Amino acid sequence: MEFKRRDFLKIAGLTFLGLMAKPGWEVVSQIKPLEPSPAPNYFTGKKWAMAIDLIKCWNAKDGCRDCIDACHTIHNVPEIGYAKEEIKWIWTIEYEKAFPEHIHDFNEKKYKGKPVIVLCNQCEDPPCVKYCPTRATWKREDGIVMMDFHRCIGCRYCMAGCPYGSRSFNWRDPRPFIKKANIEFPTRTKGVVEKCNFCEERLVKGLLPSCVETCKEKALIFGDLNDPNSEIRKILSERYVLQRQPELGTKPKVFYIL
Amino acid sequence: MRFYDAKKIITGLIIFVGLVTYPIWHNTVSGKNLYTPKLELPKDKKECIEPKDYIRVNHKSLLEDWRLSVVRNGIRIYQASNQKKYNMSLNKTCMECHKDKTKFCDQCHNYMGVTNKCWDCHIYPKQLEIGVK
Amino acid sequence: MIDKEKILIEKEIPLLEHVRKTGKGFYITISILIALVLWGLYAYLTQYRIGLGVTGLSRQIFWGVYITNFVFFIGISHAGTFISAILRVVKAEWRRPISRLSELTTVFILFFGVGSVLIDLGRPDRMLYAIRYAHFRSPLLWDVCSIATYLTVSSICLYLALIPDIALMRDIGWKKRQWLYEILSLGFTGTEKQWRRLERAILFMSIIVIPIMITVHTVVSYVFAMTIQPMWHSAIFGPYFVAGALFSGIATVITIMAIIRKAYHLEQYLKPIHFYNLGTLLLAMTLLWFYFTLGEYITTFYGNEPSQMAIFWSKIRGQYAPLFWTHVILCFVIPFPILAFPKSRTIKGTVIASISINIGMWLERFVIIVPTLTRQRIPIESAFYIPTWVEWSILVGCLSFFSLLYLIFTKFFPIVPIWEIHEGRGKSIPQIEERLRSYLPG
Repeated sequence: MEFKRRDFLKIAGLTFLGLMAKPGWEVVSQIKPLEPSPAPNYFTGKKWAMAIDLIKCWNAKDGCRDCIDACHTIHNVPEIGYAKEEIKWIWTIEYEKAFPEHIHDFNEKKYKGKPVIVLCNQCEDPPCVKYCPTRATWKREDGIVMMDFHRCIGCRYCMAGCPYGSRSFNWRDPRPFIKKANIEFPTRTKGVVEKCNFCEERLVKGLLPSCVETCKEKALIFGDLNDPNSEIRKILSERYVLQRQPELGTKPKVFYIL
Repeated sequence: MRFYDAKKIITGLIIFVGLVTYPIWHNTVSGKNLYTPKLELPKDKKECIEPKDYIRVNHKSLLEDWRLSVVRNGIRIYQASNQKKYNMSLNKTCMECHKDKTKFCDQCHNYMGVTNKCWDCHIYPKQLEIGVK
Repeated sequence: MIDKEKILIEKEIPLLEHVRKTGKGFYITISILIALVLWGLYAYLTQYRIGLGVTGLSRQIFWGVYITNFVFFIGISHAGTFISAILRVVKAEWRRPISRLSELTTVFILFFGVGSVLIDLGRPDRMLYAIRYAHFRSPLLWDVCSIATYLTVSSICLYLALIPDIALMRDIGWKKRQWLYEILSLGFTGTEKQWRRLERAILFMSIIVIPIMITVHTVVSYVFAMTIQPMWHSAIFGPYFVAGALFSGIATVITIMAIIRKAYHLEQYLKPIHFYNLGTLLLAMTLLWFYFTLGEYITTFYGNEPSQMAIFWSKIRGQYAPLFWTHVILCFVIPFPILAFPKSRTIKGTVIASISINIGMWLERFVIIVPTLTRQRIPIESAFYIPTWVEWSILVGCLSFFSLLYLIFTKFFPIVPIWEIHEGRGKSIPQIEERLRSYLPG
């Protein structure tokens, strides 16, 4: 079989030309679409954070779920029913479990067993963002750790990276479990990871996150850390501030005020 | 010259040709070729955000660009060729006029055999009435 | 054809028997394996249809049998490289009959290693996004790169070492398959120049594949070690996993060797000395594995950090204690006495040890992955992970598919390299003599 180098180069050249036919045609024949115009720059300089005033929260009646219900309703979070497959963006855990590094044998009695609201901490240095193989989760300029449900391949590595357990996975099709669908926000398919997104679709319209707005005790304070006059900066400078697991270096942006 | 196994060969050939030309005769036989897309156009609006010819060809890449822009870049305003500004939203812009996807989008998509995954997640207006499940 | 064959393969008649003749046993085995593969496929389709909820995984413990399979299969793949590449480089002559069967294990099991991750994905239809939108800061991407490289280089190693035997098969003349051997033999005719080129190529690839092999399992361990989860975030994971991989890999090769020896009547070629030598290596690996495991647990215990100790106790005397202690028994307590004494390092002994080690190492991967996910740092729910029929079926399906591919290969190519045996009988003996002379004075 005499296959000379020349023949190979000829065939390789022809193959290359053949492969370039379709892309070439697309380039030549396309009507150029117009560029989307930039929105008013509401990103630059902002650093969104949330402060949860635990004392105010504990004033609410027992079993208050206003913030949780608000969030889960507007975001079409399904109510699966069994703990194994549950999806939650915001929920409560006991004080001892929220701040295990503060627990010793002689803690204050008044905090024992109290419910603490936990959600995605929207860390400044998020470990989950590092591990995603497709960049389906990334940190935006304004500090929100975003989630792109279109790109998630469902490997759950971000869940392995999150030390707070903030992320949930869709173990089956969520649609049958959605009580009341909200058309303003998409549902998700089975096989993708989801978490709190600081209501970024509401922030665009100038609204506060749903949980913040709904809380009757006004226990949730949301604001821009870069704005020295914001309410959140004020409360962080005046009261005793806790973060979850600060020693891990994730620099969480959800602060707990005692 | 003898034609050995004539019966078997001819039967086999007929079956083979029948199977191979299935795409050609199936639609005629089953009546599907009588199907034409019946697009229910919006009653009040006369034009889409882009000229009909453009949007007919490019609505897929337009929506994909919108998706990229809104989800990954946070930019939500689209300036069309008629200098008007629109919200880059499948539901709020497109579905506002073309209310029911089964009477508009699906008509051509079903005819062309196009499947899209948009509606796996996004809820269209009529769906709220019939149930999201 | 028989005469030509006799001339070409000289004394090595049994080596082509299994390619030429197919007995009832083969067809029965293939049927059973195909049935198991189809069952595994059915299990996967159930999962694809309904979602990963059909497994025992949960919001708390979201990595389980599939990721264990992934690490386990990639671990086994180190066998081939070790036996064919490293032993070739150090010129250990006893590797001759076993180099191809171990190389084959490597190449085929890598598909299932990667396959296990793909099976675990929530959106497998988007699997190519990992390449299209690759984010290189993610250890999973490092995995993709290193495993792809390893698979490529291992396949090339396997193929290069196969060429002289394909040329042999082509020369013998096989009516129906002649075209296959003609194409694959690449015109190899056995001239001096061709042999020299081939040997250099094989040596070069063997040397290259060794550092790649080490990076592969190190990178797989980094998927865990690079997180900040307690008892995963350990610097020792790199060498620990590589040692564990060599450990389980050699054990798998011993098992496969014993099966092939029995099934294809290759008792003359796969002799007790081969099992003895592999058993010695396995003994070294047992001790090395024990050393790393001990180091890992002793340092955790001595440090006494609460988040780590919660998981430590869960493994030592808690929820996962039965699995943990079972795996210690299977990986050390049973194999070590068998392998330590030359008298018991027989074929039977090494096979018992290697089966015990294989099961033990699967449990070891499980015990590394799952207890950490009960996430005692934030003891939220006390979750317990019980794999469902879907996960077990897919595991069985993967192993069956691997065996199936292996068996089909043995129907096309001889499993013991004929050219290496010829070389051993011919050229190697004077080469060894000369080497020995060069070591001694005068």
